[in-house]
Amino acid sequence: MKRVPVGRRNLFAERRRALLGVAGVGVALLMVLALDGIFAGAMKRVTAYIDTSPADIIVSQRGVKGMHMTSSSLPLSAVEDIRRMKGVSRADPILFETNSLKSPKARALSYVIGYVPGGRGGPVTITKGRPPGPGEIVLDESAASKLGVSIGSDVSTLGRSWKVSGFTGGLTNIVNTTAFVRFDDYAAARGTTGTASYILVGAESPAGAVAREIEKETGLTALPRPEFSREEAKLVRDMSTQIMQIMTIAALLIALAVIGLTLYADTLARLREVGVMKALGTRTRRLALIVLSQAAWMAGAAMALSIVLAFALAAVMSRAASNISIEVTAVSIARVAIGAGVVAAIGAVAPLARVARVDPATVFRRQ
Amino acid sequence: MDDVAIRAERLEKVFGEGDVQVRAVRGIDLEVVRGQVALIMGPSGSGKTTLLSMLGAMLRPTSGKVELDGVDLARLPESRLPDFRATRFGFVFQDFNLLSSLSALENVQFALNLAGTTGRKSRERAEALLRGFGLGHRLSFRPEKLSGGEKQRVAISRALANEPSVILADEPTANLDSKIGHEIARLLRNAATEEGRSVVIVSHDTRLKDIADRVLWLEDGEFREINEMAVDPVCGMAVERKPETPHYQYEGQTYYFCSPEDRDEFAAEPTKFIPDRG
Repeated sequence: MKRVPVGRRNLFAERRRALLGVAGVGVALLMVLALDGIFAGAMKRVTAYIDTSPADIIVSQRGVKGMHMTSSSLPLSAVEDIRRMKGVSRADPILFETNSLKSPKARALSYVIGYVPGGRGGPVTITKGRPPGPGEIVLDESAASKLGVSIGSDVSTLGRSWKVSGFTGGLTNIVNTTAFVRFDDYAAARGTTGTASYILVGAESPAGAVAREIEKETGLTALPRPEFSREEAKLVRDMSTQIMQIMTIAALLIALAVIGLTLYADTLARLREVGVMKALGTRTRRLALIVLSQAAWMAGAAMALSIVLAFALAAVMSRAASNISIEVTAVSIARVAIGAGVVAAIGAVAPLARVARVDPATVFRRQ
Repeated sequence: MDDVAIRAERLEKVFGEGDVQVRAVRGIDLEVVRGQVALIMGPSGSGKTTLLSMLGAMLRPTSGKVELDGVDLARLPESRLPDFRATRFGFVFQDFNLLSSLSALENVQFALNLAGTTGRKSRERAEALLRGFGLGHRLSFRPEKLSGGEKQRVAISRALANEPSVILADEPTANLDSKIGHEIARLLRNAATEEGRSVVIVSHDTRLKDIADRVLWLEDGEFREINEMAVDPVCGMAVERKPETPHYQYEGQTYYFCSPEDRDEFAAEPTKFIPDRG
């Protein structure tokens, strides 16, 4: 049942107009994909410290299930209590807060983590230099670059100055970075004694069961690491959802305007031909399919263009800005494709209404 | 069996109401048998377009009926009219009215698709028709790349694609030069003679009288006698020989015109419009 593809022919008959329309919609969809990708990339890095931690369970103050914009305080004595528990291989305390790193050149928002040297709370990799000694700090290399500091430079945080001893990687996102100092230095800088923020626990038995046992014995909150990571991601996502939705809707509205205007302009330019088609015996339903197929082709071509551009943008960004990573996922593509489909259908409404009103007898009127 | 393909009985069309009421077509009776070419002529505003629209099932008459192959189009529900137009009528227009984004082949295929012929079958049929009209080398050309004569041949191929009972042609030679106009007229004549189609032509072009079996004069929405007709030497239109028609005496002969402007133009330089004296 192959019919002449009138919708496609109409769309691409005027290549320049079609190209401009597809490019306009493609860029709007790219905005959605890029926003989604930036968000997905940021989410991945927001939980990077937790995800790369060798801990199986993370213990926090009762009721605390994340690190972002959160404060947790628990007695240091709990570390020993947990270490003695069955199924626990080790327990390492860390101190944590969100603070800013300052250099003479710039400042950067940072998670600052105080960990016990030789324990599990420090940086997983040291890309350059060495772990922090007394009065020293390890920075993420992207943040160091932004701050304009190198090994041996001074940065200040927690109300004092620190000498940079080394760099780690993969812990800077579009919002913040992560820095590491020694546990004792952190405690001294903050004047805290006998407390920790979190305890990173290694488990010999299944983490879920051990975590439940810790909660039962200590009255603290203990979550297996993947669950803690999910809770952290959820918190950040919940905080960002509204702004992401607003930006996505704005981009889809731009796509809608471009599709709608392009289709409507094309329909107006072809009203006489619509009359001819009706005179020849085309049903309104078939005309509707022609308009819809035109919209679908436009959205489809724009979608393909936006995917190519999104991957290109992701590649460029990974080289140009190490703190921004764009993750173009299949879920994101599917979501944007559905959005494009809806936008195309809505964009076709006005042209459809116009087409339905055309009188076939107009073909006998002189142009 | 009744050999009449299309029949109009007491066909009437009234637009508007009260003071602004216009009776565009007034009780017209018309029968066109298979294989016949009927030429309807008349001045602008005489109701030709309205009549053609009603004959082509695009406009409902106020009263009277239009029968095509025995079916009263005026009584058919709106939903059935598109299929009727697609399968029983072929349309040829003054402005060709080809779909600009489609090739010559696709324009003909499109009409076939409307009647349910799709895919390879539609392609082969369209190709055969176009080749038959000498357009084998223009199959993939879009209308903008075709000459006027080629466009009209594509339009006639499209009109014949579904083997309709009736071909309705609106000024089919108006935008064509004399030679191509003759060729198009011949094709329409052949459609009637060789394929048994009824052809109804609405035109100002007096040359089409040569191929017509019947010539009808439509004026003020009614058919009139056509025995006293003259040709306006300025525009070539057929006009009635009657006292109220603008006319001009020159060297003992009376010339008739479709408008006072044409008469004045003629009067300024008659030899320009009389071939053997120009």
